[in-house]
Amino acid sequence: MRIPFPRISLFFVILLFVCILPVRPTHAADIKYKRSIEKYNIPDVVLINQDGKKVRLQSLLNSDIPVIVDFIYGTCTTICPVLSAGYVNLQRKLDADNQKVRLISITIDPENDSPKVMKEYLKRYRAKPGWDFLTGSRADIDTVMRAFNAYIPDKMSHYPLNMIRMPKNGNWVRLFGLMSTKEFLNEYQMATAK
Amino acid sequence: MKALIRYKFAHCFRVALRSAVLAILLPLLFSTFAHTEFIPPTDLSHAEIMRLGERMYRQGILPSGKVMETFIRGDVAVDSSAFSCSSCHLRAGLGSFEGGVVTPPTNGNKLYKPYRRPPSFGDVADRAGRFIYAKTVVERPPYTRETLATAMRFGTDPTGQVFNDVMPRYPLTDRDMSILISYLEALSSEPSPGASSKQFKFATIITDDVSQEDRQALLLPLQTFIAQKNQQMGMFNDFIKFGYSPTIDMQFAFRSASLDIWELKGPPESWPAQLSAYYNANPVFAVLGGISNSDWRPIHEFCEAQRLPCLFPITDFPVVSESDWYTYYFNKGYTQEGEAVARYLNRQETISTETPVLQIVQDSQVGKALAAGFRKVWKECERQEVTTLTLSSQQLLDQTAMDKLLTKHKPEVLILWTDAELLPNLPALIAKLPAKGMVFVSSGYLGKKTAAIAESVRERVYITYPYRLTPYVGSKVGGFDAKVPILPSSKDFGNRRITSRSIAMLQQTTLQGLNLIYDNLYRDHLLDIMSMQMDVTVLDYERFSFGPGQRYVSKGCYIIQLGPGLDPPLLPLSDWVMH
Ligand code: HEC
Repeated sequence: MRIPFPRISLFFVILLFVCILPVRPTHAADIKYKRSIEKYNIPDVVLINQDGKKVRLQSLLNSDIPVIVDFIYGTCTTICPVLSAGYVNLQRKLDADNQKVRLISITIDPENDSPKVMKEYLKRYRAKPGWDFLTGSRADIDTVMRAFNAYIPDKMSHYPLNMIRMPKNGNWVRLFGLMSTKEFLNEYQMATAK
Repeated sequence: MKALIRYKFAHCFRVALRSAVLAILLPLLFSTFAHTEFIPPTDLSHAEIMRLGERMYRQGILPSGKVMETFIRGDVAVDSSAFSCSSCHLRAGLGSFEGGVVTPPTNGNKLYKPYRRPPSFGDVADRAGRFIYAKTVVERPPYTRETLATAMRFGTDPTGQVFNDVMPRYPLTDRDMSILISYLEALSSEPSPGASSKQFKFATIITDDVSQEDRQALLLPLQTFIAQKNQQMGMFNDFIKFGYSPTIDMQFAFRSASLDIWELKGPPESWPAQLSAYYNANPVFAVLGGISNSDWRPIHEFCEAQRLPCLFPITDFPVVSESDWYTYYFNKGYTQEGEAVARYLNRQETISTETPVLQIVQDSQVGKALAAGFRKVWKECERQEVTTLTLSSQQLLDQTAMDKLLTKHKPEVLILWTDAELLPNLPALIAKLPAKGMVFVSSGYLGKKTAAIAESVRERVYITYPYRLTPYVGSKVGGFDAKVPILPSSKDFGNRRITSRSIAMLQQTTLQGLNLIYDNLYRDHLLDIMSMQMDVTVLDYERFSFGPGQRYVSKGCYIIQLGPGLDPPLLPLSDWVMH
């Protein structure tokens, strides 16, 4: 499908695009993430964190500061490094002030992800306090995924998703896809706005 | 450059634009690197270059010993201690497909050839859909050492196409870069021994402590599997003879197969030499199953050293390791039962740090494995070590001495890692415990006799059970024949399930790996593919689950009690997996 194109118009096209370049992220495939505002009913389940402590998901999520949730697992390739790098960066940008955001990763491999595996994962990423990794029974994890409209029948076919809970009204910003750091930080700031 | 831009144009505007921008920017960026040719360091031996390169690739550690730094998602600096090349491109470097992201191969063989990604589902799906967020480069010319360095530093292919944000950018020095590139060139460059486009050679391992009956139970499914492969190969040859042309999938799905039986005799210390002799006489691609009643360790270590995959041997004594690579096990054997008790107790509200727990271990290999599993997890839960007594089988049967022990320790929890000889004394022992006292036993160690636990004490006895409890809907023999759910029963106690487990490992996991290996006949690649499988439901276990580095595919073990009667129902008290 070779399109013959006069060289001169190519020049103008480039000129035109260069002008609008700053507003377009330079992704290889140039695909932006999908954003929507959602309401979720958080099920009343008790999960287990990286320290082996039981935590009630509802009380963890109902917070006065923004809460971000993603779904990952300890031995995951490809997507999880990217999602977790986003968490690492946010923690750094916010200067380890864990009063500004609560980061939550929920495993989608509850059979393998014991507190020990999760603790090591967080250590590998040099997570600071304020980032918790949760596991639980398969049934509870399934319930949580369904509640977020993120049911993943098999971990090998999972997809990148971040959900930010806005403290002002308890609504969630659902972000599907891989964002640049700037975009992620931007979303966080918008969610924090009063 | 003009030609380059034109080439881009054939694809779309925006890519052309980016190339143009890059055409201006890249030469500036490269000026510092322009004249290096990334020649491997001459002051290092080849072996040393490979060792350092492997460490960069697998562990993200620089030749200097420092952690590699990388930029991901554009500008996030992350240490490569969190993830390395092999986290995405996998150990064999043939790439992966997970969560809708294709990670392309990164071994020299593939990088130095033109690459065309087969059109995937995602290319036609809706643009906001699942498979689009990390689309990879579709087509590119071959790399050179220079363009490879650029790819890793700046994330562009030889024509300047920019990679998606999943591939990190690595700011390496020229010297470090040349070491990494030399490693990539050597990675998966020679097909592993024991495989060709026409044939897979396999072996299975049987030690001389295995009964004739158990031996047959293993060989039956293995030999059926080999015969099936060869029969399919015959049919495929006929198909070609009739003039049909096979699809790519078909070309690689059919290979003949052979199976050697490696019999190991005498003491385990002599096994490595026997294994070497077998292996050297006829190297195989992988070991398919196997069986031993002794510790599997010498065989495990041999396979590790030879980098030889060993797929699902029947053993109760696997090596429990978090980093070893080459042996896949069904589960951790007795260790897993011991772990289950620790997890269960850890979650009981009634058990405090003050609760007296007594662990009595029969002085045997089984007893020790059970106790080791318990100890490991108990410690992980940050619990204080429990009182542990190791006793001989005679001591265990000495009723007066046992009574004395129990009177002395007054355990509220009594863990009995013993065989079934002790069962007749169980009611008397339980009588010595406090009213709410619990007793834990292993169904693996008690075997068939587990069902004979006296009815009067069944409510006090907690039993480990590492097999499926929910009805299984599916076939016993690996076909599609059964629709009637198969129910677990107390008759299953003591059954080693040699045939059914071997069928599951062949038909439900190994076959998939062999079919997807295509012409990438590398052992590490087989293990990589198998580790990226979806979960499978099998007859004997609730589930097999996988993941890079996960080597014990059945993760669960129930704690159960027996109901009443001669054929008591098995009553689960816990989930399949506990944390
Ligand atoms: C987080 C996952 C991830 C990590 C870590 C990673 N890569 Fe990649 N890599 C990718 C993806 C995805 C692509 C495909 C990008 C595209 O085509 O847009 C890729 C592409 C490449 C390519 C280009 C392949 C081609 O055919 O054009 C090379 C070479 C490469 N990676 C080498 C490496 C090396 C070496 C390392 C470690 C130093 C590494 N990668 C680490 C995910 C990763």
